[in-house]
Amino acid sequence: MNDDLSHRHSAFRFHGSWLEFARIAFPNLLLTIVTLGIYRFWATTREREYLWSKTEFIDERLEWTGKGIELFVGFVMAFLLIGLPLIVIQLISQGLIFRGESILAVVMTLMMFLLLFYLTGVAYFRALRYRLSRTYWRGIRGGSDDPGFQYGLAYMWKSVVGWLPIFLGVPWSMISLWNDRWNAMSFGPHRFSATAEWKPLMKRYLLFYLVPFLLFIGAVVFGISMAASGGTPGTLGSTGIAIGAIFAIVGVLSFYLFLPLAALAYYSKYFRLAVGGLRLHNLEFDFRARAPDWILFFLSNMAIVICTLGIGYIFMPYRNWKFFIDHMEAYGEINIDDLTQSETVVAKHGEGLLDAFDVGAI
Amino acid sequence: MSAFFDAGHYDGKSAVRRKVEVQIIGRQFFLLETERRHGPFAFSDIEYVTHKDDADVYGLKEADGWRLMLSGPVPSDLSAMLPARRNYGGWVDRLGFGKAAVAFTLASAAAVAVVLLSPQWLAPLIPSSVDEKLGDALVGDFGGRFCSTPAGDAALKKLVASLDANPSDLQVEVAKIDMVNAVALPGGKVILFDGLVKQARSPDEVAGVLAHEIGHVREKHVMQALLRQMGLAVVLGGIDGNSGALVNNLLSMSYSRESEAEADAHSMKALGGANISPIGTASFFDRLSKMDGSASSSTSENGIAGYMSSHPLSRSRKDAFEKSIVKGKNYKPALTPAEWTELKTMCTQDRNAKSGFGFDFN
Ligand SMILES: [Zn+2]
Repeated sequence: MNDDLSHRHSAFRFHGSWLEFARIAFPNLLLTIVTLGIYRFWATTREREYLWSKTEFIDERLEWTGKGIELFVGFVMAFLLIGLPLIVIQLISQGLIFRGESILAVVMTLMMFLLLFYLTGVAYFRALRYRLSRTYWRGIRGGSDDPGFQYGLAYMWKSVVGWLPIFLGVPWSMISLWNDRWNAMSFGPHRFSATAEWKPLMKRYLLFYLVPFLLFIGAVVFGISMAASGGTPGTLGSTGIAIGAIFAIVGVLSFYLFLPLAALAYYSKYFRLAVGGLRLHNLEFDFRARAPDWILFFLSNMAIVICTLGIGYIFMPYRNWKFFIDHMEAYGEINIDDLTQSETVVAKHGEGLLDAFDVGAI
Repeated sequence: MSAFFDAGHYDGKSAVRRKVEVQIIGRQFFLLETERRHGPFAFSDIEYVTHKDDADVYGLKEADGWRLMLSGPVPSDLSAMLPARRNYGGWVDRLGFGKAAVAFTLASAAAVAVVLLSPQWLAPLIPSSVDEKLGDALVGDFGGRFCSTPAGDAALKKLVASLDANPSDLQVEVAKIDMVNAVALPGGKVILFDGLVKQARSPDEVAGVLAHEIGHVREKHVMQALLRQMGLAVVLGGIDGNSGALVNNLLSMSYSRESEAEADAHSMKALGGANISPIGTASFFDRLSKMDGSASSSTSENGIAGYMSSHPLSRSRKDAFEKSIVKGKNYKPALTPAEWTELKTMCTQDRNAKSGFGFDFN
């Protein structure tokens, strides 16, 4: 049985409703509060179970099979492996400073930061691995046999190389790390192949990068043209000063407006390129959201959170997932008979490190 | 006895969806396809996985991806054999949502209460050898910054002996650091900074501050604070980063305010016992309050600044010390003029002591 996707309008479809989600999110919020936050691992699991089960790929829903206890164990592990040593190292380095061994204390603190940096990379990798290994479609799951320790090193050096040329290498490091991550992942018997390119991303990045400079140049040009037209404050009087003040305010506002917009424009291109470079056997993926979609999404998220005095925050997982699925597209074909079970190992714990650092996945 | 019921099935080995009939035979069942029979499977191995679309999805222990999907009205003889649906997760489902919420609230309140209150009882139980080792590890020789001259040491010794009944288990030192501060550390260590001694206008002022720090030692505040911080870090670890840290700080701050008040009370009592006038300490706080600006704010402690600051405002502390003056009491100076000069110039005389700080206190 072959499924030819080329004539369908969308391989991914989301059937959820925010009212149904509210019936999960509100009890979750209550239980999370009364357990001093411990329930949130089970809360996350319930939300994912719902979101996955409402997501249809071709002709079958996804299943989320992760457990709250896995996320909890992951969190406790992160606390024991990182949190406690961090506290001890802080105590020791404080003692070293007291003893006047400042250099040793600085070295220890530096080592600690390097370790955290490394573990953040490992955490990104393992979170993706965990999510794929808990996602089932037609009884088949994804995963990876790579524990992600190598990726942690790549994360360190590629990030640093990205920052070194006055942050101009960031697009390269982001795309390259995305490819590294996904090339290690598989679904069923098939390995993902990620071949996104970073060069097409540079134009958008430069736009974001140059926004502060462009605004500054704009202000200077405006000032010069004002002066050239003979409009000095002396001859224009108080109205001239008022106009100048208005332009200054507009300038500041546009700085705070344009910079996030440029960042979103960059991110939308990044995500489109990254997903577009992804392949699974004969399947190709595409993410169709463009910069205006992202900006609209971002602004309405802000509006929801502000208008509900923050309560709307609990709907963000729903909104994020819906945005993601609504814009995902897949082309090509799947041979159902060929799609056999994944033989990757399944880790028993969840996204502990990632949870501790509070960074997003995918 | 057997019953037939239409169901969907994935064997977990390939993605092929099978239409099967469930045939129940005692505590086992078979899945029948047109030409094949799968099983037998034991009902005791069946696990609830999720609910998707309109179907309840069941898995089989130790069979990755094995799925049985039942939709529509399930015959009672089959549903009786199946595990219950999972909604919130184990405990909550067993207790019911309301009862679980109440139980969690009580447990959380109890945990916070234990963490906040137990350090007061636990701190005295920590053996003094542990306390001392911790103090030694933390301070050592303070990077050679302790000042020492025979006459200065004698003056300091006299001052300590007049303020405390057991001066032998205290280690009071003057450190060559040009800051107006004093600290109490584990192991009965009290460090007066040379900046404070130099800035003081009379030995009575130093006596009041010293007695305050000795109060911290005698009330075991350092160990209490350490235990409380560790306990809160564990209990509130479940809350998301920022809100947890905020709650943590607020709770431990209110306790440090309490500790400061206790230490002040201890100081006033010690000064009274040594016949040293508290007016010196009051004027010292007066000068400090002019430096930190609290004198210009309102006299009431209701302001945000009064609540949030980790130390009681110098202004209010000054008032407390002034009130503790006993009219008509025959106060005598804490040190003779000669002793006071020796103490004040101790760090200038001691050329071996290293100077500087290279660290900051709050
Ligand atoms: Zn104090």
